[in-house]
Amino acid sequence: MTKPIDTSIYTAVTDAIRTEAQRILSEGQVSAIVGYAAARRKGSAQPIVISQPDDAAKLIFTPACVNNLAVYLTKAKKEIPKSGKIGIVVKGCDLKALSGLMGESQLKREDIYLIGVPCAGVLASTVQPATELTTDSIAPKCTECDAHLPTGCDFVPAQTPVAADLEKKYAAEITRLEALTPAERWAYWKEQFSKCIKCYACRQVCPFCFCEQCLCDRNKPQMVDTTPRPAGNTAWHIVRAMHLAGRCAGCAECERVCPMDIPLNLLNRKMAKELKELYDHEAGFEVLDKGPLNMFTEKDDQSFIK
Amino acid sequence: MQKFISEQNLNTLLDTLIAAGTRVVAPRMNAGTPLYEPLTSAAEMITDQLPRRSAKEAFFPVCEDIMTYEKEGQKVTVTDIDPSRFPETVLVGVRPCDAVAIPVLDAVFSWDYKDEFFLERRKKTTIVGLACTTADDACFCTAVGLSPDETKGSDLFLTPLEDGGYDCRTYSEKGETLVNRYPQLFSEPTGSKAVPLAEPQIEKFDLKKVKAWLDENFENPDWDSIATRCVGCGACAFVCPACHCFDIVDEGTEKAGKRRKNWDACGFSKFTNHASGHNPRDQQPKRYRNRIMHKFKYYDDKFGQTLCSGCGRCIRVCPVGIDIAQIVEEINKKDI
Amino acid sequence: MHSEKQKHTFEPKIIAFVCTWCTYAGADLAGTSRMQYPSNVRVLKFPCTGRIDPVFILKAFQQGADGVLVSGCHPGDCHYIAGNFHARRRFAVFRKLLEFVGVDLNRLQFSWVSAAEGGKWVEVVTDLTEKVRAMGPMTEFKELAMEEQWSGAIDTPELKEAYNQI
Repeated sequence: MTKPIDTSIYTAVTDAIRTEAQRILSEGQVSAIVGYAAARRKGSAQPIVISQPDDAAKLIFTPACVNNLAVYLTKAKKEIPKSGKIGIVVKGCDLKALSGLMGESQLKREDIYLIGVPCAGVLASTVQPATELTTDSIAPKCTECDAHLPTGCDFVPAQTPVAADLEKKYAAEITRLEALTPAERWAYWKEQFSKCIKCYACRQVCPFCFCEQCLCDRNKPQMVDTTPRPAGNTAWHIVRAMHLAGRCAGCAECERVCPMDIPLNLLNRKMAKELKELYDHEAGFEVLDKGPLNMFTEKDDQSFIK
Repeated sequence: MQKFISEQNLNTLLDTLIAAGTRVVAPRMNAGTPLYEPLTSAAEMITDQLPRRSAKEAFFPVCEDIMTYEKEGQKVTVTDIDPSRFPETVLVGVRPCDAVAIPVLDAVFSWDYKDEFFLERRKKTTIVGLACTTADDACFCTAVGLSPDETKGSDLFLTPLEDGGYDCRTYSEKGETLVNRYPQLFSEPTGSKAVPLAEPQIEKFDLKKVKAWLDENFENPDWDSIATRCVGCGACAFVCPACHCFDIVDEGTEKAGKRRKNWDACGFSKFTNHASGHNPRDQQPKRYRNRIMHKFKYYDDKFGQTLCSGCGRCIRVCPVGIDIAQIVEEINKKDI
Repeated sequence: MHSEKQKHTFEPKIIAFVCTWCTYAGADLAGTSRMQYPSNVRVLKFPCTGRIDPVFILKAFQQGADGVLVSGCHPGDCHYIAGNFHARRRFAVFRKLLEFVGVDLNRLQFSWVSAAEGGKWVEVVTDLTEKVRAMGPMTEFKELAMEEQWSGAIDTPELKEAYNQI
C-alpha cells in the first residue's frame, strides 16, 4: 500500500543549510559551496556551485535533491575551482562516497567543509520531479538506508529524520534473481543490457569513476567493444560492476540516471553483499586505508580454487 | 485526403501489415521502458506514453554495420552493406516532436555527402504521426514554434477523436498509398470533435533573438554557470530526436570484423580530443555550449532550421537536471 | 607410447591464464615428463596471477572460449610476495559477479599449480576439459555477439544469409 513519507523537516533543513552556507561564505571559511538549487520545472532541483554569500538563499533540500554531489569534488570534474576549502551538501549515502574517495587519496578531509543533511529519503527518479515522496516513489536505496543522519560532518541541521520502515527492495530482488537458473539470469540481464545505448551516464555520475582514461574508452588494446550492441553492453556493465566492487558506496546514482531504466545498482548491491559475506566489508562513514580488494589475509576463502 | 479510422481498424491495419511482412515500428514497452520498436502484434502498441528514445533510430540506428572485412592469407575481402535491402517500414504513433525532426535531419544527411543508410531508410519508411493530448512540464514544442498537432514530417497524421477512433489526414504520396492499399479500413470523416490537444505551459521563444545572442556570445561567463554542473554523459544527445553525431569504429580481429557506425555525443570529453592529445573543448561548459550553439545557431546558419523540436526528453533524463528550455528561456529574456 | 586418441564430436576451446613462475613451469614439467593432457588448452603466460585482469576472462569468453582456467602459485609462493593473495580476493568476487549475470561457473576454474606439480596440471586441465566437453559449447557470448539493436539489425532473410556467408 502506498503511504506518504514524512519530509516535513526538509523546510527547516533548507533554512539551516542556507544560514550555514551564508555564514561560512561570508566568513571566508570556504571559497565555494556545492549544493542543490531549484530549477524551472515544478519541484525540480539541480546541482549548483555558489561562491557569493548572497547566493546561499538559492540552496534548497527537497525530495528531488537526488544527486550525489561528491562527483563534483573528484578529478573527473575539473571545472569546480579546487582552490581553498570547498563546502558540500551531503546526504548520508553521499558522505559514504566521500569517505571512500578520501580512502583512495582523492580528497583530503581538511579541504572540505561538510554540510550533512538529515534525510528521510529522496525520489527514485526525477523524470517527473514534482512527484510526492511515498513508499512507492522513494528511491530503492532509501529503503535500505542506514545513514539517515550523517556523522562526522562540520555542520548538521538539528532536525531528526523520521525513517519509515520499508520493504528492502534490492535485497528482495537479489534473492529473486539468485533463485533463478544461470540461463534465466542470463536472459534477464540480456534483456536489460540490450536497452543500453552507451551514453555512459552511469559512469559520468559515479564518484568512483574518476579515471582520466577509462578502460572502456581505450582502443589499444580494445578490451570492451564500444558499440552499443548487446555484446559490448554486457561487457561494459560487467566491467563497471567489477571496477566498483569494494568501492561502491551505494548512492545508486548509476541506476537513477540510466535513461533506459537498467537496474544497475542491483549489480553493485550484489557485489556489496558478497564482499560483506566474504570479507566483512561494508561501505560506511569511516575512512579506510585500503578497500577489501586492495588487501588480503592469508586465511581468505579459497574453497573455489583447486 | 481526410478519412476516419477506428481504433479497431487501426489495429487491423497494423496486424495486416505485419502479416504482409512489413516492419511496423511503434511505441511499445521493453522491460519496463517505452521505446519505438518493431511490433509483433498491434496489441503491443502504447499510445499514452512518449517513448524514452526518439524515432530517429528508425533512420539512424543506435549502431549499424557499414561494411565487413575478412582476411585470408594475403587476400582481404571488403563487403559493403547494401542499403537497397533495408526492409519496408511503417512507423506508427510518432509524436509530432519526433516526426518534425526527421525532415530537419534530411538536410544534414543529404548535404555534402549523401548518407545512403539514412536516405534509403527514409525512402522506405512511411511515418504515421499522432497528435499529443497530454504534456508534462518538460514539453516545450510550442516554445520552438511547433504544436502538439504539427504535421510536418508525417505522411499520415492521426488525431484522436472524442467519440473514439482517429481523424486521419494524408500529407504525402506515401500516406495516400498506405490508405489506398487498405481502403476498407478507412471511412469518411465522422465530424466528431477532436480530443483537446496538449498545452505545454511555456511561452514561445523568439528564436531569431536567441540566435542573435548566440551569434555574439561564444565567450560568455554564463556558460560556466549553466554547464559547470554537466557531468559529460551522452544521455541528452542519445534521447534527442535531432542530435545526429556518430562515430565509426572497427570491431573484430585481424582475420575478420565489421566497421560500425555508433551514436556519439558532443558532451563526451573524447568527442573533440585530437590524436595529439590536445582538446579544443577542454572543459565541460565548452562542450555543453556546443550543444546549444549547434541546435539554435550553427544548424540555422547552415540549413536555416532549428535543431530542437521541444520534446523535452533531454530535460527528463539529464542526470543533473539541466533544462534546455530554461536556458533558452533565459537567453530569450536577455536585453540585446 | 601414445595412448589411443579418442574421437569426440565436440572439442572445447579452453583458455588457460597462468603465471610464469609456477603454473607455466608446472605445465612445462608436464611436457618434459611426457605426460599427456588434452590439447584443447591454449596457455597464455603472465608474470603473476595478480596481473590477470578479470576483463581477460570476459574477453576470452567473448572470443569463443568454452572454458577458462586461471592458475598460479600456491599462497605463500608468489614470486612477487602477494600477487596471488590479491588475485584470490579479486577472483572470488569476480566469479560471483559472473554467476549473477548468468554464466555457468562450471566453465571457469581456478587452481594453484606449482612448478613441481606437472601431474596436478594434467589433472586440472583434463578435468576442466572433460567437464566443459560434457556441457557442450559456450553459446551465450557467441549468440550475444550476433545480436544487434533492432534499428541496426539487418533482418531481411536474404541479406542475413548473404551476411552469414561472409
